[in-house]
Amino acid sequence: MTKRLGGVYAAYLVFAVIFFGPVLFMLWSSLRNNVDITGSLFNIASPLTLENFTNLFERFEFGRYIANSFIVAGGSTILGLVLGAPAAYVIVRRKLAALGFVTLLARMAPGVLFVLPLFVLSIRIGGPDSVALNYALLIVAHLIITLPLCIWLLVPFFEEIPISIEESTLIDGANAWQRFRRIALPLALPGLSVALTLSFIFSWNYFLFALALANERTLPLTVIAFNFIGQGSNDFGGLMAASTLISAPALLLTIFAQRWLVRGITGGAVK
Amino acid sequence: MSDLMTKSPAASGSANAGPGAGAPPPRRRRVDPTARGVWPFALPAVLVTAVLVLVPVAYTIWLSVSDRQSDGTNSGFLGFANYAEMFGNPQFWNSLKVTLFLFVVCLLVETVLGLALGYVMSLDVPGRRIFQGMMLVPAITASVAVGLVWLLIMDPSLGAANQILAKVGIDPVVWLGDPDIAPWSIALVDIWQWTPFMALIISAGIRSLPEEPFEAAALDGASGWRTAWNVGLPLLRPVLTVAMLLRTVDLVRFFDTIYIMTQGGPVNSTNTLNVYGYNAGFVDHEPSYAAALQVALLVLVIMIAGGFTWFRQRASR
Repeated sequence: MTKRLGGVYAAYLVFAVIFFGPVLFMLWSSLRNNVDITGSLFNIASPLTLENFTNLFERFEFGRYIANSFIVAGGSTILGLVLGAPAAYVIVRRKLAALGFVTLLARMAPGVLFVLPLFVLSIRIGGPDSVALNYALLIVAHLIITLPLCIWLLVPFFEEIPISIEESTLIDGANAWQRFRRIALPLALPGLSVALTLSFIFSWNYFLFALALANERTLPLTVIAFNFIGQGSNDFGGLMAASTLISAPALLLTIFAQRWLVRGITGGAVK
Repeated sequence: MSDLMTKSPAASGSANAGPGAGAPPPRRRRVDPTARGVWPFALPAVLVTAVLVLVPVAYTIWLSVSDRQSDGTNSGFLGFANYAEMFGNPQFWNSLKVTLFLFVVCLLVETVLGLALGYVMSLDVPGRRIFQGMMLVPAITASVAVGLVWLLIMDPSLGAANQILAKVGIDPVVWLGDPDIAPWSIALVDIWQWTPFMALIISAGIRSLPEEPFEAAALDGASGWRTAWNVGLPLLRPVLTVAMLLRTVDLVRFFDTIYIMTQGGPVNSTNTLNVYGYNAGFVDHEPSYAAALQVALLVLVIMIAGGFTWFRQRASR
């Protein structure tokens, strides 16, 4: 038995080096100065510094980019939940697999397919010049990511609510909306948190829409980090610090909400 | 596709058995009283989805058969000229080749490695959750961060990859600058990012398998490998298919890490259909041609995903 355990941990070590090593490398590099980063990988004793991070905020408007990411991811997540929760409830109560299928289509279509029309629309309504319009466009565009995801994640949670609980309220004469609002929604609260966090992360991470649609004042973290490479930046420390900031919500989520995350990712695939 | 979808909402296995379960449940006609009057709640989501999905798709199809210029003028219906241009353009065929190459290589390696990692993750040993948490990180890290880290790792002169290779006496590799190597390097990054995702689904699948068939095989004296191949894998097939299908849909429209790391280069060697389509629209400013490429890509996604589902349904009969 101990021999088997040793084998498992040996496998753990190999897989951890391969799949977690690059993440550690990113975190570590974000804390090293550029001379050390471009020097030897094996110089483990090189000094650590927070300079890469402070530089980002001093030289660029990183506070604004972070805020932009929050506005777009937060806005599209809230909208996705407000629209998605009642829809998921209907899918469960009326057993509508077909509606779920339509939302899956949105997941299958390539993002560029949406970007071209949105870009044309943006130009027509003056999106590039108006900050408010640009935020609105980005939030609506990200709804393509968050709405199907919210529905997809919420359906299993509504399915778990025993019908008998809701049937008992029929006697009280509660209408459909009251049943949803007072009974089903509170019972699906864990599902709402799962959908909220995952949809926020997916929207936060999404890159293509903002790449094509954002203007200078609405640029989120992902696009600004990408623009750094375009400018031929050799500031690897800065790039790694930016990458660390972009990854922060996902990393925090893995630490604090792993159980939800696993459920969210595998929920659709495994019974 | 419908098979996949019925699988996901019905994840927790309720009365909603969906098609594929054979005969419809006998109590079908009786309408669940709690289902009365809920219809209107779905209306906002249905409307928004329709506007968000169907309108752009319809508009892109219109763009692809008309002649929109980068200045915004559109001289109207053009027929299939954009498609003719596409099929006559060697760039398109190159992009198709690159897309299919990445699809096949990544899916194959991610499935095989995912099975190995998924098996390891499914074992009940102390520390399983911490290990699982570490394996989660690549899949939920933003592609921009993933691309940036791998750019640094694959840097030809000071990158970590070549430093490690030098330690074991291997000459430096030009990871992203050589058209023969770049597609493999991009595949490597995708395999790194998404193998744990496959493994996660597979490990959850393994943990939900019934124990009896394995006990029976052990009683018959079958070896571990034989049991895994003849008992485990067939039982795991539904889960494995869903995981592969999810990856397939993403791989056919591969964009993020490529756009961040190579923008399709060098010499178009990593120019997938999606990257090609984006560049046609936003770099070369040919919206109508780009639209034709996007429609072609959508057809390809539907064909491959549909073929997959058809093959799966046939195999499970």
